[in-house]
Amino acid sequence: MDVRAALRLRWVQALIVLVVWFVLATLLKGVQTQELSTATDSPFTAMMRDFAAAIRGNRTESFLFVYVFNPIRTFIAGFIELIMSVISVPAEGNIIPLLGWFGTWVLIGFIVYATSNLRTAIFSMFMLLLCGMLGMWIITMDTLAMTVGAVVLSLAVALPLGVWAGLNDRVMKVLRPWLDLAQVLPTLVYLAPLALVFLIGIASATIATMIYAIPICIRITAHAIKSLKHGPVEAAVSAGSTRWQVLTKVQLPMAKRTIILAVNQTTLAALSFVVIAALIGAPGLGKPVVEALTIRNVGDGVVAGLAVVFLAIMLDRATTAAVMREEQGYAASDAQKVRRRIGLAVGAVVTLVAIYLSRYVLVFAVFPERLDFGDQVGAIADAIEEWITSNLDFLTTGFSQWFTVWGLNPLEGVLANSPWWLTLAAITLLAFILAGRTVGILVFVLLALVMATGLWYDTMVTLAMTLIATAFVVLLGIVLGVWAGRSERVERFFKPFLDAGQTMPAFVYLVPVLALFGPTRFAAIVLGVVYAAPVVIRIVADGIRGVPKDSVEAAISTGSTTMQVITKVQLPASRRSILLGANQGLIFVLAVVVIGGFVGAGGLGYLVIVGQSKPELAGKGLAAGIAIVLLGVILDRIAQGRPSERAPAPR
Amino acid sequence: MKRVGTGATLTIALATVGLALAACGGGVNEASSSSAAPSPAESTAAPAETSAAPAESSAAPAPADCGDWGIAMHAWVGYTASAQVLTNVAEDKLGCKITQTQLDEAATTYDAMEAGSVDVIIEDWGGGRWQEWVDRGAIEEVGYNGNIGLIGMFVPQFVCDENPGITDGTKLNDYVDLFKTPESGDKGAWLEGPPGYTTIGEKIIKAYDLNYKVINTGSEPALIEAFTKGSEDKVPVLGYFYEPQNFLAKVPLCRINFPANDWTDAAKASGLTDYPETPLVKLATVKLMDSGSPFATLLTNFEWTNEDQNQVALDIENGMDPREAAQKWIDEHPDVVAAWLEGTGAS
Repeated sequence: MDVRAALRLRWVQALIVLVVWFVLATLLKGVQTQELSTATDSPFTAMMRDFAAAIRGNRTESFLFVYVFNPIRTFIAGFIELIMSVISVPAEGNIIPLLGWFGTWVLIGFIVYATSNLRTAIFSMFMLLLCGMLGMWIITMDTLAMTVGAVVLSLAVALPLGVWAGLNDRVMKVLRPWLDLAQVLPTLVYLAPLALVFLIGIASATIATMIYAIPICIRITAHAIKSLKHGPVEAAVSAGSTRWQVLTKVQLPMAKRTIILAVNQTTLAALSFVVIAALIGAPGLGKPVVEALTIRNVGDGVVAGLAVVFLAIMLDRATTAAVMREEQGYAASDAQKVRRRIGLAVGAVVTLVAIYLSRYVLVFAVFPERLDFGDQVGAIADAIEEWITSNLDFLTTGFSQWFTVWGLNPLEGVLANSPWWLTLAAITLLAFILAGRTVGILVFVLLALVMATGLWYDTMVTLAMTLIATAFVVLLGIVLGVWAGRSERVERFFKPFLDAGQTMPAFVYLVPVLALFGPTRFAAIVLGVVYAAPVVIRIVADGIRGVPKDSVEAAISTGSTTMQVITKVQLPASRRSILLGANQGLIFVLAVVVIGGFVGAGGLGYLVIVGQSKPELAGKGLAAGIAIVLLGVILDRIAQGRPSERAPAPR
Repeated sequence: MKRVGTGATLTIALATVGLALAACGGGVNEASSSSAAPSPAESTAAPAETSAAPAESSAAPAPADCGDWGIAMHAWVGYTASAQVLTNVAEDKLGCKITQTQLDEAATTYDAMEAGSVDVIIEDWGGGRWQEWVDRGAIEEVGYNGNIGLIGMFVPQFVCDENPGITDGTKLNDYVDLFKTPESGDKGAWLEGPPGYTTIGEKIIKAYDLNYKVINTGSEPALIEAFTKGSEDKVPVLGYFYEPQNFLAKVPLCRINFPANDWTDAAKASGLTDYPETPLVKLATVKLMDSGSPFATLLTNFEWTNEDQNQVALDIENGMDPREAAQKWIDEHPDVVAAWLEGTGAS
């Protein structure tokens, strides 16, 4: 009887499946793995190749171009060029844009001051000054213009959709596959078609950015609206409020803290596109990054990368502070209001003077070369890189080889080097057990689709890497997220590193990572962890902070130890955030699968790159992109568990 | 009320800018005509940006109207060298206005050429990948640029010194143990070339039944780091490499040879024979070639050797601004440049 009871437990069932799977996979190693050489097409990839060629060949002056694509391109490019003409691009024959550097600098400071507070304004100006001192003023302004433009356009689309999806589950259900698609489909897959339709340059770069940034914003906004406590909403409804009133007076203000997160993340996502932009001829900080990689000059790359990070930190703090002020606006006393009004007047005058100076006095017009320390910073970065790669590689090589032999290879053996039907059956069973029948059937269908693409083997190789990278990411995210969520000091210490990890373009540290780990799958895992861990840490920390103070204090007053408070109160109460974090971690890891292709990891990421480079393999690139999306949806659905557990009943 | 407050402050901010702009006329920009002010390009530290700077290229008397043209910039240093030399000559001798655009290679660039956004690829390795675009009348081949690409499988020099027989590629199975890594398991690791390059590793392995596993390195830095590390730590590495590439001057590599023949289309390679020598191709838009611009003539005449390219590339890798590195070579080779200018009306 005990055995039968135990068999009913889900984790026991899952364990049995895993053991049987492992044994069979070991016995049948290398049988029917569906491995396909890079140069060979499957029927599906051959079809995709012909399809890609057909689109390309038929590009004519059709009405789609005249009435849809060209106006969109003109509007987006025009919007961003307008911003650029003010701060970064001089008009024909001119030396400086509308504003010289000093005018731009003070004006940005003033705008930040007007929307938040003096401290943030000074901090923002300091960050921008650092960008200038790296010798990157104009290029930073190019990127700033493109980022601001892309974020404004993204928010205009995503915020209303996010609120709607948060209020209405059915909308979310319709949107969700598209969000998955847009967020997980590697940019390189659609970059060439995008450039084909919208031409190379600013418009294509901005649209690529928006495709990636909008889903993040929609997801977080919807999550914010949805996870509100039902009490206040019901109270408002019973007090006779209309739906609109409930939304604007109760739900939006209450969700503000998390919506800030959405604005932040949209901005950071937009900044992560600087390198992609450089690949299709758009201006900005990605250009020096790619040029530095071309000659493997780590120092130059770091200089440009640091400018990206400083710009990211500045935008992050400025947006956060702006909304914080909105929140606290009610509390201001009359004296404070008067003081602020005087401050604004003084600021306006100072800005006026600065703009005037920046148009008439050379030092204020063009960033002074005397303040350019880019070369020195580059030299320091080179020295540090040199030291790390020559002194730490024995350690890293040893660890990565040990981990590859004992962790990655066995997992890949089970997933990829065993018969495809065994893996398919095992994953489907696990989905049934862990996430229920609906998800189980869905996963089966999706896996069958992966099989149909003909890229089964590569998908499983990528899955093995993704699982391991995500495990690292979630582990890091929970440990550091809890730590940061419990202490503001720790959080403040982490913040710059999180910003750097998330915004420093991977191309900047590709060379050191390669020098440490060689062209290996482990190098790709490292790249994935660096990029995905920050977002998980942030979301977990946000969840921990959101745990009601009284329940924490109650636990402490009853004599719980710190460990007990964390495991019994804070972690369970922020379960939703941790799930969201794991989910986002997974998606972020998948988002850099393609970068893994640049460092010898093979799998789907490499196929995407090779499809981009060799027209004859374009079909494999497209199919690999589709396979990455399928993989993302499969993992996402299984990770979310049973529907009944997804939305705990309101208390 | 607070919303109104924020709105008002923003209005003030915008009004401020408006006032400030209304208050002043040309300012520093007016001074530009007197050429006393430095060009903004000097302060941006963006090497390849210089050519795009306005009002800079009017130094030389233009023999015929050259016009505005775009060169695609691909991400390897040899390419940068060729493109920059071409840019310098076109701007300084012909008075062309050249815009360099950083672009992903192959399809992205061919599409951009078809759309008219760029006009020239100065070095393309991919035997005939552009045919589809030629068929549609967008692109045409402008002959060879004089550089000869030689692809092959290489090992660090010390491996050849210790194992003299290894240069015979058909015997690679005798050396599998040297190249085993955790990535390749019980096979040898065969580091394959970057995605855009012609690669037939899978075919060679199959043709000779070699016990090696192809590791797709995915990028040039990945290969270079692997060879650098292998040479320094005396760990044998078997990988794809190519000339012209000035890296070979820094880390000596030794070529593994397979029987030679003369296939040029990678699709037709049997895998039994080695990579052939590939003359690298210049591509341009039909629009440029039909324009009658002297730039088209210059492009047609442009031709230099691997040695020339390596010299400029090495200067760039050592930190020289690409424009200066190109100019240094141009000043040292007036005869070659004069030959390129034949028929353009300039000298």
